[in-house]
Amino acid sequence: MRVALAEDGALFREGLLMLLEAAGHEVIGSTADGNALVDLLDTEPADVAILDIRMPPGPDGGLVTAERLRTLHADMGLLFLSHYAESHYLMRILQIGTESIGYRLKEKVGSVDVLSDTLARIQAGEIVIEPVLAKRLIERPRGEKKGAIESLSPRELDVLRLMAEGRSNNGIAAQLFVTPKAVEKHIAGIFGKLQLAEDATEHHRRVLAVLTYLRAQRDED
Amino acid sequence: MVMCTPAQWPDAPGAAAREQAAANAPTPQPADLGPVGLRQAEHDRWLRRQRLQRRLHDGASLQISALVPQLGVVRKRLSDDEYDLRLSIDDLQDQLHAVLQELREIAREIYPPLLDQAGLGPALCEFANHVAVPLHVVAPAERFCLAVEGAAYFAITDCLALLDARGPPAEVVLRRDGEVLDIVLDGVPARHAVEILNHVRGVGGQVDVVEASGSGRIQVRIPCE
Repeated sequence: MRVALAEDGALFREGLLMLLEAAGHEVIGSTADGNALVDLLDTEPADVAILDIRMPPGPDGGLVTAERLRTLHADMGLLFLSHYAESHYLMRILQIGTESIGYRLKEKVGSVDVLSDTLARIQAGEIVIEPVLAKRLIERPRGEKKGAIESLSPRELDVLRLMAEGRSNNGIAAQLFVTPKAVEKHIAGIFGKLQLAEDATEHHRRVLAVLTYLRAQRDED
Repeated sequence: MVMCTPAQWPDAPGAAAREQAAANAPTPQPADLGPVGLRQAEHDRWLRRQRLQRRLHDGASLQISALVPQLGVVRKRLSDDEYDLRLSIDDLQDQLHAVLQELREIAREIYPPLLDQAGLGPALCEFANHVAVPLHVVAPAERFCLAVEGAAYFAITDCLALLDARGPPAEVVLRRDGEVLDIVLDGVPARHAVEILNHVRGVGGQVDVVEASGSGRIQVRIPCE
């Protein structure tokens, strides 16, 4: 896979660069700030751009840069690697896009397997969210949708949590040791209880189900 | 409504004895900084905390984070039969994650990074995800000065952290009222007003209490430009 990288911490940038290369990815370039990344991607296409959040330009320059990149290269995946997993940043990331996008802690993509899996899922169009953050959001539903969320069964909550991590039906089935057919049934139950429109596509409804939690949170801002 | 400013607040236990002792002792001569000097001293205090937090992020935390992918590179170079070594590296990476989580907690207690980066509203919403009591936050997106944000954040969160998870839900409403940051805490017993006052008196804050049956309302007003 072709990747580009922007991170203002030289040590972490170098470390990640080595890991990407060890994993067999082609790193088309690495920069210390967002503007330089935009310039780089102007001439060199990439499948996924990896960005820090707290880097120039500005206090959350990675988000500003990602907005520009999504406009300029709509098909390119975006992976945020940050020192903090905060729902505040997740909201802002999901406002940039709900497809081919990811948000993970810097130290949680430290193996070739996890890093490649994260990049592949993003390239395939999925949302990848740091599991600990997805779990926290789902265990503490807030706002007007709380009632609907409380009506879900424990199993449906498990399924929704794994959906929030961006997993496929087969991935969820493997995690919960059930058949993909059973997962489909649970997902239909979730869509029904959260009153998600049936005319939307499956992928769209999956995202909406996840966003139902997140939006309840954002309403409080 | 009861009006509580530092001078009017009821005596804490033992205050009378201390007052008597103080009366007998030679009158201390505190350095009078005046309101402007006090505000500057408060600002410096919060600035120091903010810088410590940033240093923790840009220094130690980033250095430790950088070790994780380096270990991943070493792990990749191992041959397939070195299974034990692979497990050891996985374990080391997990330990580094635990250390980083500990540093994140410390950073949050010094000066929350989100408060630094995004202000009171986002920082309090994030806090609502962690605290036991169900909490609703209403806050404007605007920023206030460093000392006001710091004092207000810790006044609110230290107090809410004491509330029972099974208790009534609490609500925090922040708004700007001219040159004042106005904070209303609902569902918080009046006894917590003293702790809140301790946090905000340095930045010229005042605390009012309305006691209702069981839970009450505390209003905090902090001058800001």
